Amino acid sequence: MLLDVIAISFLIAFLRGGRIKDIPKFYRLYLLAISIILQVCAGIWHEIAGIFISLSYLFILLFFFFNKQHEDIRIFLLGWFLNALAIWSNKGRMPIDLEQAKKLPYDLEPVINGTNFKHSVLTEATNLPFLTDIIYMPVIIPRVISIGDLFIMLGAFLLIQRLMNKPISLIHLREGKNYAAKG
Amino acid sequence: MRLKAEHTQKLKGIIVQFGFTIAGLLILIQATAAWQTREHWMVLFTYTLLTLIFSFAPMRTLNSTITLNNAVIFTGILLYGAWVGVWTALIETLIIAFLVRFHLIKALANTGQLLLTIWLVDFMQRVLIEYHVNSMISDMILAVVYWLVNIVLCAIGISYYFKLAWFSTVKNLAKGTTLIYLILMLTGAIAVRLVEGYGLLALLPIIAVIAAFNGVVRQYFKGLDNLKAKVDEIKALNRSFLTAMAASIDAKDQYTSGHSQRVAHWAKEIAVLLELPPEKIEEVYFGGILHDIGKIGIEDEILNKDGKLTPEEFNRIKQHTVIGYEILKQAGVFQNLLPAIRSHHERIDGRGYPDRLRGENIPLMARILAISDAFDAMVSNRPYREGVPVAEALCRIEEGYGSQFDEEIAKLFVKYIRELPPEKLKAYIRQGEQTEKEEFLEKALS
Repeated sequence: MLLDVIAISFLIAFLRGGRIKDIPKFYRLYLLAISIILQVCAGIWHEIAGIFISLSYLFILLFFFFNKQHEDIRIFLLGWFLNALAIWSNKGRMPIDLEQAKKLPYDLEPVINGTNFKHSVLTEATNLPFLTDIIYMPVIIPRVISIGDLFIMLGAFLLIQRLMNKPISLIHLREGKNYAAKG
Repeated sequence: MRLKAEHTQKLKGIIVQFGFTIAGLLILIQATAAWQTREHWMVLFTYTLLTLIFSFAPMRTLNSTITLNNAVIFTGILLYGAWVGVWTALIETLIIAFLVRFHLIKALANTGQLLLTIWLVDFMQRVLIEYHVNSMISDMILAVVYWLVNIVLCAIGISYYFKLAWFSTVKNLAKGTTLIYLILMLTGAIAVRLVEGYGLLALLPIIAVIAAFNGVVRQYFKGLDNLKAKVDEIKALNRSFLTAMAASIDAKDQYTSGHSQRVAHWAKEIAVLLELPPEKIEEVYFGGILHDIGKIGIEDEILNKDGKLTPEEFNRIKQHTVIGYEILKQAGVFQNLLPAIRSHHERIDGRGYPDRLRGENIPLMARILAISDAFDAMVSNRPYREGVPVAEALCRIEEGYGSQFDEEIAKLFVKYIRELPPEKLKAYIRQGEQTEKEEFLEKALS
């Protein structure tokens, strides 16, 4: 999914002298499990995939909400929330802009004929089009992203910095203090 | 008067909680139309990225840090119109709401206020374009409009939530941030025109300028912080030096242990009652600490004599005011305390010493100290006698209105002491007095 972002984040954390010490603790992991199961269900029952995907987003938002004591999770929460708005308002599928998607090396046929249960084609009728997948990102793995994805990438970067024991605090940055968070 | 203040507060409440929110919502709805257009999406994306970066790149001002987001919003308005500004403001609100704190009513009011600013600036821009004002001039006007509207509206919110006067809030905001704010806004405007003319690469020199400027500001405040730390250090040193001096005066005169501390304490309380500015209050306190410093120059036999003093000995003791004055004057330190030390035994009727000053000719600090000195001398215990009861001491001060003491100040003091809770009063009166045990220890050690 975000393999390149994750790899770069690890590289940066490594260059900053970070090493994995211990895996951070998450609360209510079952919410994450439910969310994944719902995604799988969506893959099986294509007709009602929209409902499964919408619910899956709800559970992952809940999962982040209960883990929000860390800043990176709060950024995830915001990113996923923006994406959820786009998905919920478009019947459980993320609309994607074909004009941008054409630049990708993938087969777009399933999206166009509606067999892709995760994406749909962005049209005039799409709600909140500015929150859907509309921006072509050429590097490193080419993809079409949404504005919410931008926050998710930042969240992933921050989470990995924390994982590698070199956390960065955005709140400290904002207050003009040293960027390093306690921990 | 009070009624009027309540009305103003209510009015502010309506503006902040309903006015800002409703205006914000209307402006938001108007802006969403522009967000639907395909051509605008790249702009929205770019400004999201800019907001994400600049929300976490603050610049310090005199008493707060401001982020560069207002400048980003401003460039959006200049380049594309209100819809980009609204988007940027919304993204920043979301970031803050998710990351830092979420308070729905305050967030609505605050965002509404910002959206209103954006809308007004955009409106002004359209008016200026209508009148064919040169874009360089109009950019400058708009930067000032943005800043002015922003602090005026902000001040309504701040003055409502913190129950402050609106106009002084505006003044305070203006005092702390104006110059840096304007520099950032104008740099934003320059960036816009450069990008229009030369493309995105023109951002590089602008970013370099901002970064360098930020560096200068940081250096400046670092220097200021260091200086402040140094001043605090010197103040602390001064304080401990003065306290040590007071202790040495009191140690010399065995009858008056802790006297200087207590006189300083009461004098400070009087200064607070008189609503003197903080630095004056501190001065009065140290005047109290040092008022008897001249006793250093008085022979121990006289100071510690048991029984009645002869007129000559009494005259000698009176000399402590002048001796203290001379000591400090020659030392060249604490010059501002000189009047307090020389004149704290003057009387309003002109029968005091050493200069027989009258009424208002006696410096204020000395008039204050005269009261606190007399009060402590009366109520504190001495080895050879018990202190006078507080009520009686106050009566004697009342008798001295207009003759020994400044009536106005003494009245305030008497009222204050009468209203003070008894246990507090007792604690202050006994403060610094030696207990029998301590005295015993002292004797055993010497």
